[in-house]
Amino acid sequence: MSTIIETSGLYKIYKDQASEIHAVDGVNLRISQGEFTAIVGPSGSGKTTLLNLIGGLDSPTSGSIHIDGSDISRLSPKELVDFRLHHIGFIFQSYNLIPVLTAKENVSFVMDLQGRRSREAGQRSLELLEAVGLGDRADSRPAKLSGGQQQRVAVARALASKPRFILADEPTANLDSKSAANLLDMMEKLNEQEQITFLFSTHDPRIMAKARRIITLEDGRIVGDILK
Amino acid sequence: MKTMLISLAWKNIWRNKLRSGMILGAIAIGLFAGTFMTAFLSGWIEHSVISDIQNQLAYIQVHDPGFAANNDIKACFLQDEAMVAKIASAGEVAAVSYRLRLNAMLASAAAAVGVSVKGVDVAAEKAVFTLHETIPDSCGAFLPDEGRMQIVISRKTAEKLKVRLRSKLVLTFQDTGGEMQSLAFRVGGIFKTANAAFDEGTVFVRKSDIFAYTGLPEGAVHEAALMTGGFETCRTASERLQSLLPGLDVQTWDQVQPELGLMLSWIGLMNGFILAIFLLALSFGIVNTMLMAVLERTHELGMLACIGMSKRRIFRMIMLETVFLTGVGSLLGIAAGLSVVGLTARSGIDLTFLIEDQFEDYGFASVVYPVMRAGTFMQIVALVALAGLLSAIYPARKALKLEPLEAIRN
Repeated sequence: MSTIIETSGLYKIYKDQASEIHAVDGVNLRISQGEFTAIVGPSGSGKTTLLNLIGGLDSPTSGSIHIDGSDISRLSPKELVDFRLHHIGFIFQSYNLIPVLTAKENVSFVMDLQGRRSREAGQRSLELLEAVGLGDRADSRPAKLSGGQQQRVAVARALASKPRFILADEPTANLDSKSAANLLDMMEKLNEQEQITFLFSTHDPRIMAKARRIITLEDGRIVGDILK
Repeated sequence: MKTMLISLAWKNIWRNKLRSGMILGAIAIGLFAGTFMTAFLSGWIEHSVISDIQNQLAYIQVHDPGFAANNDIKACFLQDEAMVAKIASAGEVAAVSYRLRLNAMLASAAAAVGVSVKGVDVAAEKAVFTLHETIPDSCGAFLPDEGRMQIVISRKTAEKLKVRLRSKLVLTFQDTGGEMQSLAFRVGGIFKTANAAFDEGTVFVRKSDIFAYTGLPEGAVHEAALMTGGFETCRTASERLQSLLPGLDVQTWDQVQPELGLMLSWIGLMNGFILAIFLLALSFGIVNTMLMAVLERTHELGMLACIGMSKRRIFRMIMLETVFLTGVGSLLGIAAGLSVVGLTARSGIDLTFLIEDQFEDYGFASVVYPVMRAGTFMQIVALVALAGLLSAIYPARKALKLEPLEAIRN
């Protein structure tokens, strides 16, 4: 499998007057296409910071992040926005759907940002909602959907841009057990069938159980990397 | 994307229906008041000015240069064929009334008042002025019977002199030789215009009834009052006439009474000022509402930036939301304002319930006919657009400055 994400000597250091905090401390990481990987670790271990760096939402203090061979740490903020739009799918802990748009519109929104034709975007949105089991709720607004359903819409939205990989930051944190299990089953299926790469930041044991690779972070360093 | 952005911006303004409704209501009421007030003031001033033009000034007046200084009876010119031909050749002139103008004393058995006498040819006067229409049937007519030595006075003058229709009055004036001439008249009509000052000081008699007593040469007049198509045509006609009549003073209505012209010019400025104040006040409300909307949605705007919505698009979305909010409110307000203007433009708004007819003492009509000119309407639209855009900038800039990661942590 080809390498999608590669970080080398990655540091993120927060400084204040008295001290330095190494949120990410020399991380060397390689993620290949089709992986279903969880980054785990205690709170403050640097999981989310690492995910933000890989997602181009934050810039490293030093080191490089290569996505499909391109060093995104050298991109300007404007180029990063465009990069995120075309290469990365995001799933957030609190769903973050646009409340005034329907499920279908939320999914097609990303494609609209990409400049795709609205008919094509609409068609793909419906297909993606079908894929996440919400074909019959396409015209529902987020407020009419359960937490699990909203997170499924968020998955469909993350997939809409045909990204190279999906970054999911604590995607099950706000879900009950049944919804979390359903969501994980659905993501696992997408990973197996479509070879979509998922990278989770989590301390949810249910995700750890499903993940085929578990990277453990502590104090910003990788202290474990288990391939199941 | 444009359609999606427009659709999203439109939906966003209805997220908080109460808040958006409140600011929309404020904008609508403000613009209704602004539109109506503008039309009301324009109508009031314009009507007063036009009424003065139609009742006393005409669009153009021609005098001997010496007349303007002190209404000297000797400062006259001849209404001969050459004069008539020159005025006719100026173009744009619809009608002309050649008048005698004398300062005189008008006395009844009870009192006496100083007046300005206008000696007129009835048919020509009626062709130029509409003053005869202000005489109700119960108050006689505008010099109906030739050779009967009739005088038309105002209601105010009638009250001062304590006279009625057909009462006898004596008019005393100095002829060109300095001799006092006294003529007896009967009140043939009593008029009332919207300008009390004019009413109090003006009387009308037939030119033929007084001419022989003035000592003026045959065919002499003091004034030619000309009616033209309107405000614009009178200027070109005046310039042409002045070149045709180099020895005489040709003046447009606003040169005769500069304060009227000034009033008409100032009303546009005043309306703009009033609207600007209305919109400035509304702008603060709009900025506040949109700022709240941006701050409430910080997390969501951060998410949009995370998934790939550029800052430029976020800026445009907030700008659109503000413009929609301003646009809808303004549209409702202006539509309501125009409807009320349309309803009252013909019937007028009678202000006598406020302070009788005291407005007329200052030359303003008591009944106001609101009017909305295309220029004023464009001025309102331009000011609204400007206010909408300016109000949009600050909240949109606030959104522009959001950093995705910080915003999403919010």
